[in-house]
Amino acid sequence: MIDPDAIDNLKKIVGKDRCFDSAEQLACYCYDAYFEEAMPDLVLFPCTRDEVSGILKICSIHKIPVTARGAGTSLCGASIPAKGGVVLCFSKMNRIVEINTKDRYAIVEPGVVNADLQKALAPFGFFYPPDPGSMAMSTIGGNVAQNAGGPRCLKYGVTVDYVLGMEVVLASGKVVRFGSRNVKDVTGYRLSSLFCGSEGTLGMVTSIILKVLPLPESVSTLLVTFDDLDNTAKAVADIIGAGILPVALELMDKTTIRTIEEKAHIGLPVDAEGTLLIEVDGVKEACEKEIKKITEKLEANGAVNIEVAKTEDERETLWHARRSVYGVFAKLSPSLYTEDIVVPAGKIPEMTRMIVDIADKYKLLVGVMAHAGDGNMHPMIPADKSNKEEWARVKKAFDEIMAAAASLNGTLSGEHGIGLAKTEYLPLVMDEDAIEFMGVIKKAVDPDGILNPGKFV
Amino acid sequence: MADSYGQNCNKCGFCLSVCPTYQAQGTEDASPRARIQLIDFFSDHKIGSSEKLKDIISKCLMCGSCANICPAGINHPERYVRMREKMIRDHGDRPEIKSLVYLLAKESRIRMAAGAARMAQKIVPHVFAEKYRLGSIALKQFPVFNKVPFRTAARKAMARKPGKKSKGVPALKYGRVAYFTGCATNYLFEDTGFAVLDILRHMGVEVIIPETQTCCGIPMLFHGGRENVKSNINTNLACLDAQGIDAVIVDCPTCGAALKNDYPALAEEFGLDQDAANRVAEKVVDISTFIMAHARPQDFPQNHETIRVTYHQPCHLRNHMPSPGSAQGLLNALQGVEYIPALDMDSCCGGGGTFFYEYPEVSRGIANKKVTNAKATGANLWVTDCPVCRINLGGYLDDSADLTVVHPARLAAQFLPDLKGRKG
Ligand SMILES: Cc1cc2nc3c(=O)[nH]c(=O)nc-3n(C[C@H](O)[C@H](O)[C@H](O)COP(=O)(O)OP(=O)(O)OC[C@H]3O[C@@H](n4cnc5c(N)ncnc54)[C@H](O)[C@@H]3O)c2cc1C
Ligand code: SF4
Ligand code: SF4
Repeated sequence: MIDPDAIDNLKKIVGKDRCFDSAEQLACYCYDAYFEEAMPDLVLFPCTRDEVSGILKICSIHKIPVTARGAGTSLCGASIPAKGGVVLCFSKMNRIVEINTKDRYAIVEPGVVNADLQKALAPFGFFYPPDPGSMAMSTIGGNVAQNAGGPRCLKYGVTVDYVLGMEVVLASGKVVRFGSRNVKDVTGYRLSSLFCGSEGTLGMVTSIILKVLPLPESVSTLLVTFDDLDNTAKAVADIIGAGILPVALELMDKTTIRTIEEKAHIGLPVDAEGTLLIEVDGVKEACEKEIKKITEKLEANGAVNIEVAKTEDERETLWHARRSVYGVFAKLSPSLYTEDIVVPAGKIPEMTRMIVDIADKYKLLVGVMAHAGDGNMHPMIPADKSNKEEWARVKKAFDEIMAAAASLNGTLSGEHGIGLAKTEYLPLVMDEDAIEFMGVIKKAVDPDGILNPGKFV
Repeated sequence: MADSYGQNCNKCGFCLSVCPTYQAQGTEDASPRARIQLIDFFSDHKIGSSEKLKDIISKCLMCGSCANICPAGINHPERYVRMREKMIRDHGDRPEIKSLVYLLAKESRIRMAAGAARMAQKIVPHVFAEKYRLGSIALKQFPVFNKVPFRTAARKAMARKPGKKSKGVPALKYGRVAYFTGCATNYLFEDTGFAVLDILRHMGVEVIIPETQTCCGIPMLFHGGRENVKSNINTNLACLDAQGIDAVIVDCPTCGAALKNDYPALAEEFGLDQDAANRVAEKVVDISTFIMAHARPQDFPQNHETIRVTYHQPCHLRNHMPSPGSAQGLLNALQGVEYIPALDMDSCCGGGGTFFYEYPEVSRGIANKKVTNAKATGANLWVTDCPVCRINLGGYLDDSADLTVVHPARLAAQFLPDLKGRKG
């Protein structure tokens, strides 16, 4: 139970309209895109850094758990208030403070939706590269806290590569700023990087300085099919190995392609054992050259069909097919368990086979989709959580998939994070000392452990 | 367990990206997935019935954008309607909304109310009209009721000037269509009605306006009046399911969606004449789609001066009709129309049936953004198919705005050779 006085004081900071405490409203903040739930006691919507600071001061005095939230699209349960307490939702703190294309940066508040930033940058001929599949609804604050990536991160890198600086409110309410507006800056520790992927366990991010890039002159997209999955993966390794860096290199296995086609009728090659969706961008001539080189590699690896999108519409259709994967699998059953393990790109064929074998063993359907260029794989298992027996098999399958990834020198998460979903697997890829070191850092900034308790640190 | 109306929501959040109430309020309770969560919690007895719950469920524009994007295939409007019914049963509804449900159940009542409203509009002193609001809309911005119901006026007009309307262009002789006018055209926007009539007759189409037609029933359904809708469906099917009708023309996307999607489903639920509902549904087509499919270039010769036009796409057209792009197709096809798309052309206007009246603050926020973006196009006409969108958007355009909201048919009618400038 939270001290009633503390609640009154917290409410005073944001006012009645920006405070939720009814059972109905709280029920809307007990979930994110993961499948577990936990009720908060209070949801607050700060609009300024000072309000955030004031709230944390009270919470630290009364040792009230505080869980930050952007749009609640975390797939690992990072934004679920596992220990109750306050949910600090940043959705109303969503101003784009400055866009400076001359100096290539933008300053945003954490609640800015990724796609809104893209929309604001486009008229200047600029963009912000990290493009998670959730970009239409997820917030920059959430992207930073999860160190989000997306298809084009193969060429452009993930969120951490674009955060120049930030303002953070620590558990005590103290405000600290680090980094700067400069694309080059090696002044001291790169603290902003520490906060990328911290999942709201180290502090509340209240302002972010992001690097932005000029939009490429042209973009080309190819859909390639193979009649052998190993060849598909070998082609990926060959392309990367030859020093070609496409924007995106997305792989889908047979089950994934067939499932999409069956449900969505987009005209995908259902006979293919593997497909690659490849995108290159840059100066027009360079793009053409790159496509030529890529085509050579594809042909050498036995590609059956290579289709280049001729119009923007065709390009959109191909990406639509790729983006509909999640939805199509979600439709197959009440609960969709999806993971995002990473293995070295060359290990993708082996890992794919391991995933399929594990799923077979537990009599589960599995679709494999991968941001193949960087070895980031999304096995998706549609199942029914309310069917206890089936869910136990799903759980076992994922235990084994995690262990398999670790055995191939891979890791637990490429973009979705650890949250509630993968804490128990941490020791598979991090040794005791490293885990302890994270604890030391956490203790230094949040000695009472009020920030997002119940998560990985 | 979720009930049988849709699958489980996996909370992916895609629906947040299209939901106008979530975007306006910025809080999860205003989102589609939260409403689904609460409905599930309610059916699992994790929360009880309450005014608050009713408010959260009803504070929705019923635009259907969430269902359109949802990868899990949840039919949100269907689940919301059921939940609204339960909540209204438990907690009642505002008296004004209850009277609306009462009125719309019988044509004679609608007619009487419209007459009374017209009288009131005439006698309300100017100062009041300046000052007072209907929900979020200033009274003086509210459209004036038709002098006589359009269907009556049309019958007289058609009797006076039978058949041929225009010189020069030979009639196409497409066939016979029934025109479902909807309440809005019948009582508020006769200009739309006359435009539709003129266009169809100019194209050589024989138009029948069934006399006994009545409100499509959707507003009642959205306000807990499921039972009341039965007789409206029966009445409308009886007059629209006639021999020799090639198409049922609608000018309002909500009526269109009702006849096309809801009637077959409701007919099945209520054990009404399902075959008739299917036959009618098959023939329903909105006027822009009909024009695009059957008109010839010579039907709409070039206007002498260029008109700058922008467009607002109604949610019920986008999310419930088979060819939502037809009005824009029409704008592009009309020689002499310069179509300038607005930034948020396809986002909700915030009108939502009675939403603008029930939740004026939210509605105003949504509409103001639309108005700013439409003004930015520099257009003089703001075309939209839906009468509620027209009321709502028009409600925010004061005299200083050089922008008028019209139905696509009204714009197209300006291009008819003999009818240019006809006032409705
Ligand atoms: C359909 C779908 C596709 C997805 N695709 C991708 C993808 O391609 N790549 C990818 O990386 N992820 C993806 N995700 C996962 C998710 O969208 C990302 O992790 C995203 O960054 C979360 O943003 P959010 O605003 O929803 O944050 P939330 O889920 O609300 O929060 C995520 C974490 O950030 C913390 N947090 C939020 N705001 C702050 C703040 N201001 N200060 C401190 N901590 C904060 C929260 O406490 C929580 O730990 C996808 C999710 C879905 C549902
Ligand atoms: S889009 Fe559908 S499945 Fe996804 S959160 Fe919304 S309602 Fe749930
Ligand atoms: S119907 Fe429209 S307003 Fe209502 S929840 Fe769905 S998207 Fe939001």
